[in-house]
Formats: sequence, C-alpha cells, structure tokens
Amino acid sequence: MPDQGTGNDISYSLTPYTGPWTKTESAHLLRRLMFGPTNQQMLDAVSNGMNATVTALLQIPTVGEPLTISPDETFVPFGTTWVNALYPTDQAQSQVIQNARNISLAGYHYERMNKEPFSIAEKMGLFWVNHFGATATFDARASFDYYALLRANSLGNFKQLVKDVAINPNMLLFLNGASNNLFSPNENFARELLELFTIGKGPQIGAGDYTNYTEADVAAGAKIFTGWIVEGLRSDTVTDVTATFTPSLHDTTTKTLSAHFGGATISANGANEYADYIDVIFQQNEVALFICRKLYRYFVNYDLTAAVESTVIQDMSTTLLANNYEILPVLAELFTSEHFYDISVRGALIKGPLDMMYSMLNGTETQTNFDLATDYEMQLNVYWVAETLGQAYFEPPSVAGWPAYYQEPSFSKLWVNATHIKERFDISAWFAVFGGPLVNGNNFRLNVLTFLDNLSLPSDAVAVIDDMCDVFTPKNVDATQKLILKAILTNSLPDFEWTLQYNEYLANPGNTTFSDPVRTRLELTLNRLFQMPEFHTM
Amino acid sequence: MKRRNFVKNMVLASVGTPILLNEMKFQSIAKQLFNVAKSAEDRVLVIIRLNGGNDGLNTVIPRDQYANLTTQRSNIIIPETSVLPLTTETGLHPVMLGMKGMFDSGKLGVIQNVGYPTQNRSHFRSMDIWSSGLINSNATTGWLGRDFDNHYPNYPADYPSAQYPDPFAISMGYEVSSTCQGLMANFSHSVNNPFDVYNLNGSGVINDGTYYGSHMEYLKTLIDQANAYGGQINTSANAGNTLSTMYDPTNPLAVQLQYVAQMISGGLKSKVYILNVNEFDTHSAQVLSTNTMQGKHADLMKIVSDAIAAFQDDLQLLGIADRVAGMTFSEFGRQVASNASLGTDHGDAAPMFLFGNCLDFSLMGPNPVIDSNVVNQAGVPMQIDFRDVYASILKDWFGVPTNEIQPLFEHTVTYYNLLGACAVGLEEEELSKQQAIIYPNPSFGQSSIRFVAENEWVKIDVYDIQMKKVAEVYDGQLNAGTHDISFELLGLGAGQYFVNIQKESGTFTTKMVLVR
Repeated sequence: MPDQGTGNDISYSLTPYTGPWTKTESAHLLRRLMFGPTNQQMLDAVSNGMNATVTALLQIPTVGEPLTISPDETFVPFGTTWVNALYPTDQAQSQVIQNARNISLAGYHYERMNKEPFSIAEKMGLFWVNHFGATATFDARASFDYYALLRANSLGNFKQLVKDVAINPNMLLFLNGASNNLFSPNENFARELLELFTIGKGPQIGAGDYTNYTEADVAAGAKIFTGWIVEGLRSDTVTDVTATFTPSLHDTTTKTLSAHFGGATISANGANEYADYIDVIFQQNEVALFICRKLYRYFVNYDLTAAVESTVIQDMSTTLLANNYEILPVLAELFTSEHFYDISVRGALIKGPLDMMYSMLNGTETQTNFDLATDYEMQLNVYWVAETLGQAYFEPPSVAGWPAYYQEPSFSKLWVNATHIKERFDISAWFAVFGGPLVNGNNFRLNVLTFLDNLSLPSDAVAVIDDMCDVFTPKNVDATQKLILKAILTNSLPDFEWTLQYNEYLANPGNTTFSDPVRTRLELTLNRLFQMPEFHTM
Repeated sequence: MKRRNFVKNMVLASVGTPILLNEMKFQSIAKQLFNVAKSAEDRVLVIIRLNGGNDGLNTVIPRDQYANLTTQRSNIIIPETSVLPLTTETGLHPVMLGMKGMFDSGKLGVIQNVGYPTQNRSHFRSMDIWSSGLINSNATTGWLGRDFDNHYPNYPADYPSAQYPDPFAISMGYEVSSTCQGLMANFSHSVNNPFDVYNLNGSGVINDGTYYGSHMEYLKTLIDQANAYGGQINTSANAGNTLSTMYDPTNPLAVQLQYVAQMISGGLKSKVYILNVNEFDTHSAQVLSTNTMQGKHADLMKIVSDAIAAFQDDLQLLGIADRVAGMTFSEFGRQVASNASLGTDHGDAAPMFLFGNCLDFSLMGPNPVIDSNVVNQAGVPMQIDFRDVYASILKDWFGVPTNEIQPLFEHTVTYYNLLGACAVGLEEEELSKQQAIIYPNPSFGQSSIRFVAENEWVKIDVYDIQMKKVAEVYDGQLNAGTHDISFELLGLGAGQYFVNIQKESGTFTTKMVLVR
C-alpha cells in the first residue's frame, strides 16, 4: 500500500464538498463517472456547479435497440432491430444468425460507450456487468434483455435488481438456475448470490461456515431457486426469451437458514419464494456494507483502509439502508462529498482497457459517424482491442468480474503488466498515428482537428498542451514532460510558428496543405501523451 | 533459488585424526559439488492451472469403484471399458492418450486426493488458497512469490540486474500469476508471444507517496521492465528451438508450451512458467448426452493431455528434459454425484499431475472410496495436502532448504519424494539430526561426511563389518549447523564399512563402501 501518511489531512467525510470548483475538480468527477469526458464537458461542469452537474450525471437516458448490420441476418431487415425476432428452425442457420446478432449487440454497446451522453449510465452499466459477472448467453435476445435490465435499473433499488437478475434468463442460464430443480438441485447461483452478489463471504470460521453464511445456506438457497426454467431460447415460434416458474420442479419443503440469518425459515411460496429469500438476505446490514465497498472501489479508490471502512463505508451504508437499498441517494451523496474530492484519491485508479480506449476516443471527440454498418464494425475493433488488453464487456473472466476490481493487493494495477503496457502503446499509436482500423474504406482514427478546434486557445501551443493534459491526465504532467509535448507539437520551432501554422489552417478551410501539418503535429503529440504513465491513471 | 553457500559452511577438522585433505583436493570436491548445484539453478518448473475446478473423478478414474461411481454419476460416467488403464485399479479419461503414454514411460505422476482441510468451495477463495499456499490468513502473496521474496529482496526496484537479467517467472498470456505475487510486486512477467519486440518510451515520473504516485512508479517500472525483460525474452526465443512434431497449432496450451520450450532452450533463465486453461467449471454439459466420452470436459482434457505430451516430447528431443518438471493444479475437484444438467458442482479434493524425467513416483495415494449412496453435496475427501506438494517441489526441485520452506507455510510441512530422481547434489539434501551423507560413496579412500550438529561434542569413527574400529575421523566440539568433514581411509581393504557418529543429540551409523 502506498504511504498515505497518518491520514490526519485526509477528509473521510461525506458532508458536502465546499472547496474550490474548478476544471481540476470537475474533471475528476467526470473521469470517474464517464468513459471519456471532453474539454468542453469539463468546462460546462465548472460553470454549472457541482450539484447541478452531479444531478445531471445521475440520470439514465433511454437508449435505442441494437440494429441489424449483417447480411447473415435473414429474419430482420438491415437497420432494424432483432431483439424480438424469431430464430430459424435449422440449427446451423440459427447459429449463423446468433453470430450476426452478437456482432450487432457488441457494436451497439460499444457505440453507446463511444457516444455516451452526459451521464453515468454507461459507467454504471459496466459496474453491474462486473458485479453480476455473467457472460452473454447463446440467445442474443436474452443477452440484450439482461444488459438492458442492468442499465435501466443501474441507479434504482439494489434489492429489486437482485430479484430481477435472479430470474433473468441470461443469469438463469449462466449459473445453471435453469436446470436447478427439485430432483437435482444445482448450487451454482445460490452460492454466488451470497458470495458475490449480496452479503459476501467472510473468513471461514468453521466447517462450511463463511461468517456471513454457511454451506447449508447455499444448499437451502439452491432448493429455494428450484423450478425456474427458461423458455423460448432460439425459438422459431416465440419472439422473446422468458423465465417461467414451474411448480412441479420446485422443492416445496420449508428451508431453514443458518444462524447468520437468524435461523429464518422460507416456506413454500411458489413463484414468490425466491423473493422472500432475497428479502431475508437483505435484512442483514452486511449486504449494504458489501455493495458500498464495491461502489467505493469502482468509483473512488481501491484501498479500503481501516479509516475508510469505519467512516465512508459506514456512512454510505447508513444512507443505503435509510433509503431501503436505493442506489441513487448513496451515489449523489458520495459524488458531492468532501472525501470524493480529497486530493488523496485523485488519480488513484489505473484505467481499465475500456476506460483507456474510450478516454482516448471520447476525449478527442472521436466518434463513429459513418454509416450504421461501418460504425458498428469500427466499435467491434475496439471490442477486440479491449479484449486483448483484458476486458471484453460480454465476457468477464469469472462470475466475480474482472480481478482489477476486486483482487487484493494490486487491484487496478492488474489492468497493466509489462505485456499490456506494450499493447496499450501499440494500440494508441495505431489510433493516433497509423490511421486506426480501416473499415469499409474509412479510417477509425482520432479526430484530432475537431479536438483541437474545441480547445480554449488552439493557436497557442502552451494552451493546447495545458488543455490536452487537463483532458487526459488526472494530476497533470510535470513541466519537463510538458516541454517535451510542446516540442513535439511545434516540431521544436518557436511557439509562434505553431500559431502561424494554425491560423493558416483556419484561413484555408478544407485545404489539406494547411490542415495536414497541423493534424500530424497533434497526432504525434497525443501519441506521446498516450504513452505516458499519467494518461493510464484516472 | 539461491543456495546456501556451502563452501563457507564447510568445517575442516584439523587435529588428531586421519583427515588429510589438502587444499587442492578440497577445492576439487567443492568445485564438483558447486557444479551440481549450478545445474539445479537451471531448473524450470512449469505450472499448468486448470481454472474452474476440474472433475477429478472423470479424469483419474477409480476403476475399482465403478459400481458405486455409476450410482453417483450415471449420466456422465465414462464407459468402464473405455477407461485408459494406468494400473488395475486406476485409469485415465479415454482422450488422455498422450499422458497415458507418459505414465507408462515413467514421465507422468499422479497424486490422488489432493486438497486441504476444510475445503472452501468458492472459486475465488479456493484459487486464492491454492495460489498463496495459505489457508487461514487472508493471504496477499503467492507461494512462489514468498520464496522469491526471500531470495531477491527489493524486487521490483532492483531488477532486472546484471546478475538476474531475466524475469524470475513467466506467465503465459496477458496476465501475471498470483502464485508469484510478492510483497511489493508480482515476480512473474507475462508473455503472450516471446517473439514480440519491445521498445517503449519512458517518462520522468516520481512517486510522491500518494496512490497516484505509486501508480506512476509502477507504470514506469513496467515500461522499463517491458523493455529489459522483453529484450531478454525475445533474444532467447530467437536463439531457442523446438523439435517436436506433436504440437497441434489449434491447441492453445500446446502453442504456449511450444513457446516455453523455445524460451528454455534459448537460454532464458526464468525458473517458473505458468500457463492457464480455462472453463473447467463444468456445472452443465460436461459430457454429451449421446456420448459421455465427448463434450466440454473431454475437449479440455484432450487439450491438456496432448499439449503436455508434445511438450515432453520436445524437451526430450531438445535434450533439456532433465531440467524441466511440470505440475497441474485446479482450485478444487467436483462433487461425487453429478447433477441433472450433465454436469458436476463444486467439490473437494482432486488429483494433481506432475510430469518430467525426474519423478520419484508414478501413482501416489489410494483411489478415493466412492459411497454406495448419494450423499448430498459430498466431495472427495482430501488425503494429501497440496501445500506439502508445493513444499516437496521446492525441496526436491529447487533445493530450497527446509528451514526456509517451513516459514513459507502455516502448517507443519510433510515432505514427499516427488522430483528427486535426478539428484542435484548434496546441498539439496536436508539432513535430519539422525542422518549423515558420505560423499563420494562408494569411496576411493577420500570422502567427506555431512551431518547436522547442535553446539555439542561430536565423535566420528569408522568400523568394519565385524564392528571393529578401523579409523577415527573426528573428536571435538562443533558449532550448531551443517558440517562437512573430510577424511581419508588409509590401509583398508575394499568392502563395506560403517561410519558411527556420536553426538549428545543422538548416535547413529551410516554405511559406506570402499573401493580400490
């Protein structure tokens, strides 16, 4: 653990932050709540003030549905959605269509991250994808429903979300709930529900006893969840995948929980029994502490020191319990708190692959705005790239999510190792300097001229570098590194030469003779910035 | 691993007895021992992680338990006649032809029923336990990482260095391995493709003591290491070779093992290579309903078996098989009874595989006894503690002294003879108080005896087979520690002799053979 001193100078308070509200603070907020805030968004947040900014960010705008781009999709026309379409009867053909829909699903989700509105929505969606750890299932319609559920309720009621996820077809398939029945209980979901989704596992204090629950609770939970089956998978007659409770497959015995749940009993209650059980789990305040720790680690800092545990986490969970497990009030309090803006937590996280990729793209206002098929396929390139770097949205490595979000002692350091650092540099150079992925004759390369035009004073080399560092680094870079960046930008010429070049470019719109040199200088400068350790933190 | 500097420890007795080793002879014996030790320095351990919890009962199959096994797992059981026999009682999954061949030629060892007390059935906790080798504490270091920490202090800041230019461990893929997590950093360097070229920019960051500062320093170190280690790896891979034709390029484990062979043969000095195979969490569709010999689990075991067999073949062809040993592990086995989804849930103990030229054993431990009734949630009870397997590997393979091994673990370590078949020399041997080693033995007249003494009086005499004293070797006070006393037997005929050691802490006798 880094030396943070005695902590006397760190604020652990959730009382409203009243310190300076400048671009430094707004950028910190936006970097944590969004993938890649722009310079203008940071400035807008300053003028709107902290409270209004947080309120605006804590809205979940509705989004559209994934659209068909592949000619392999024979059931739905190009450009329309397949989320309520049939599958063909033929199995081989069904798989071809499934692949086409998965491609659409990936393009759609990644485009959302690339074109995120001024909202926590995409970051919060990823939080739950990580929290529940499921991979996408083999019917894209069920997968879509699952991710839509997580996103739409991402700031809603945690208890209700757990209930909804428990009987969501994607989850029923992922943790074998769909084959968990009276005759052969399958513990997979029941175990992860306790260990990873709600109350968490404490130290093992006896045979099969994990402080907060026991193996017997896992076995009881498996029985409680028996009887849920998934219907409509890859169906050629039904347009939606649904979970159905089947009484004949349900274990109707009375289940007795361990002392950790006060020896509560769960009586047969048909299709509502699982909810009764989840209600009992959520009566344990440990659940609130568990989820608050995860939120803290995701949004603030990985290091749950004793001080953080006894102050911030306790206070967050008090708010969560007072609001009957509503997430939004907890985050609203956190993101306007003294602790959130404390200097000690700034830059305290290493960017994950998705943060890294979309901070680079979104921060330079680089969006895919070609045709639908091109846009999706470009986003798919980001999918493969980020997967190589260790993060594929639809495939968390395990049901616990990505280790960088939970694995002591390294946490976000796990995102990068000596192999990944090279990959990160190669990939950023590809997008910044070498034209990026070529899709249907279009390059997915950084939109550096738009980025430049929207900076505060593009004709001034010093101001350009200052803005650039504000946008991409959490604590700026030192003076020497700034000089290196400026030397790259100006090609080591006096600053006024940059001003002249930029003004000529402005005076000759559309003339590549003037725009190309500007573009090249900026690309090289950004490329260098993306290879600085500072860029890889947030 | 670093060795005790045994030369410093050597005690030359000087008086009274026929100890006539001159400086020249002493040096030559010391040099000989040192050379053996050097070869142990080159030893490599390959660890293959079967991630998700491998179903041991469908991997190493107790052939003598078939009736009960059929009761427990009728929907996934392998047909009895298809099991590849290792012994009359034990067999392998039918797809594991490669490993069956290795077993038959003494290059595969099976340790049955490996686990730990009070099994934790959480993937994550149990993998932490297996990676750390610690059960009770909330461990943040790996079992190998702790040993590395002992030997290479101030990692990563002081490495790579002139003496240690190569990464201590290689984790194949993009992730480092938690088995190599040290106190400050992970000792493993992840390598996806050893032929990649590294040339990354640095930056002038400093650690100001904040979280941010620690990240800056970490990233800077990674960049420097990537360049330095990347160059070493690249050089080795290019210098190395691969000769086996058994590697299947569509088998991801085989591809990675081939890279490993290339790096080892190219001279990379990394001591540990870690590889990973995912998807062993077979809660459902472990087998095909139409054929229990096929399905997800069969595919996985085929990948593992084919890849390891190809790798072993390559090591033999490359002439480096005596330097490389391998091990598989998984965080737990699965329950004895199958579920209705043609799968199995998280269980307890399971078999481990060791492979290589230097195995001391072939099949260790009895078959698990399968109950005739289905007991809800029952797993295979553990008999051999995986931590003792780790400890034995450290001892046998890397020659780590037991007084360094024991503190790496929480429990009292038990050692098994696992990888001692290619003896690496005396300094690898751990002597009990009741043990001595005479070397060379048979002796041409000049030998040394190594033993452990407390701070005590020691008397060493040599007797012939009629128990008549024929020589006095040593008689005097010794400090606590390991001692090597050289002696020369003059005027004695060839034959068997007994060297008797009398100490306050115990008297015992060791046999030696004199040849002329």
